[in-house]
Amino acid sequence: MSEHSCLVVEDSPMMRQLLVFALARIKKLKVTEAEDGVDGLRKLAGGKFDLVITDINMPIMDGLKLVKRIRGDETHKDVPIIIITTEGSQEDRQRAMALGATAYITKPIQAPQVIAKVKELLSLE
Amino acid sequence: MGSDDDTRDRRASDVPLDLIKERDAFVRSFLKKGVEYTEQLLRENGELREELDQLRDDNTSLRAQVASDDAIRELLVTVEELRKERDRLVQRSQKLEDTEAEHAGRQAKIEQEINDLANLYVAGFQLHASLSPRRVVRHVCDMLGQLVGAEAFVLYLVDSSKTIVPLAHEGLEEAPSSIDEGVGPVGEAILTSLPIIRERDLHGGSIDDPVAVIPLTAEGRAVGAISVVRVLSQKNEWANVDHELFQLIGHQAAVAMIAANLYDTDKGPKDALAGLSEKLGS
Repeated sequence: MSEHSCLVVEDSPMMRQLLVFALARIKKLKVTEAEDGVDGLRKLAGGKFDLVITDINMPIMDGLKLVKRIRGDETHKDVPIIIITTEGSQEDRQRAMALGATAYITKPIQAPQVIAKVKELLSLE
Repeated sequence: MGSDDDTRDRRASDVPLDLIKERDAFVRSFLKKGVEYTEQLLRENGELREELDQLRDDNTSLRAQVASDDAIRELLVTVEELRKERDRLVQRSQKLEDTEAEHAGRQAKIEQEINDLANLYVAGFQLHASLSPRRVVRHVCDMLGQLVGAEAFVLYLVDSSKTIVPLAHEGLEEAPSSIDEGVGPVGEAILTSLPIIRERDLHGGSIDDPVAVIPLTAEGRAVGAISVVRVLSQKNEWANVDHELFQLIGHQAAVAMIAANLYDTDKGPKDALAGLSEKLGS
């Protein structure tokens, strides 16, 4: 039975699948996928999550707006949020951190880096 | 009885007085010397007792010292044994640390290989997961941007007039232009169907001198190319998986684009497969 749940919000199917592949290596972690910020909010409304991983650049609702909405949501206001950015987009990263993001991962994504960060935030072995 | 006493008295009275005095003096002197000698003996005896006591004390002290020395010797032996044991343990610990470092290195290598394999699997899976030309092109761009770490790149296709035209691009300040067949690195890569990959100075590329050009082939013919103009700042060299990804893109991207382009969304997948069994049967 899963002990932790994680929401992955990423519009690129390829990146989403890569993240799901990486997260599948963490025991007892249930992963839910969302295609963009709006889909992410819907999924958040339908359940309780221990962690959110979101891309910054997404159509409809981007990662920055999503971070802001999550921090305003009573149920998930304290949930750790990992944002995915590119090395060059320091401004976006700073804005996301200022809005309440907990940590960030830079692209290209490396599975060991994702696993380590998630384990750290969920206090897993 | 009375006659014996008389005899003794008579004999004493017969001894001259001088001799009696001399005898008495001798006896007194003898007794005095005896007393002195006895006193001296007693004194010497006392001194000898004291000396004996002192020797006993010394002996006790020496015995204790000898016992103490034995204990020290035993302790030294124990210390030596412990030192050897410590050295053995330090050596073992060092060996374990080396083994641990070796395992950690091996684990990191395995992790990297798993990561690379996952990237290749996902890249291949997503490339053929859609029959929408837009999505296929998007996947190719994602592969370059997200997996290879290309910051600026162009996807070219060869049109019917054999001109190499840009189909999609990312990260460039200006839109790329068309290229004539055989011109420049892109034209050359398409002409020869051979990739051109720069191994050094990955940040010094330009649109005319890209860091990598990968021809896109289908049925053994180059129908386009990927030109990587610039890579992300943190990327200083190609990883093994980058070469694998280039190969995958080179051999499969064009096929995926052809399939998506031929697919008629209005008619759907069933219609797209119509007549396939007849073709296989003939």
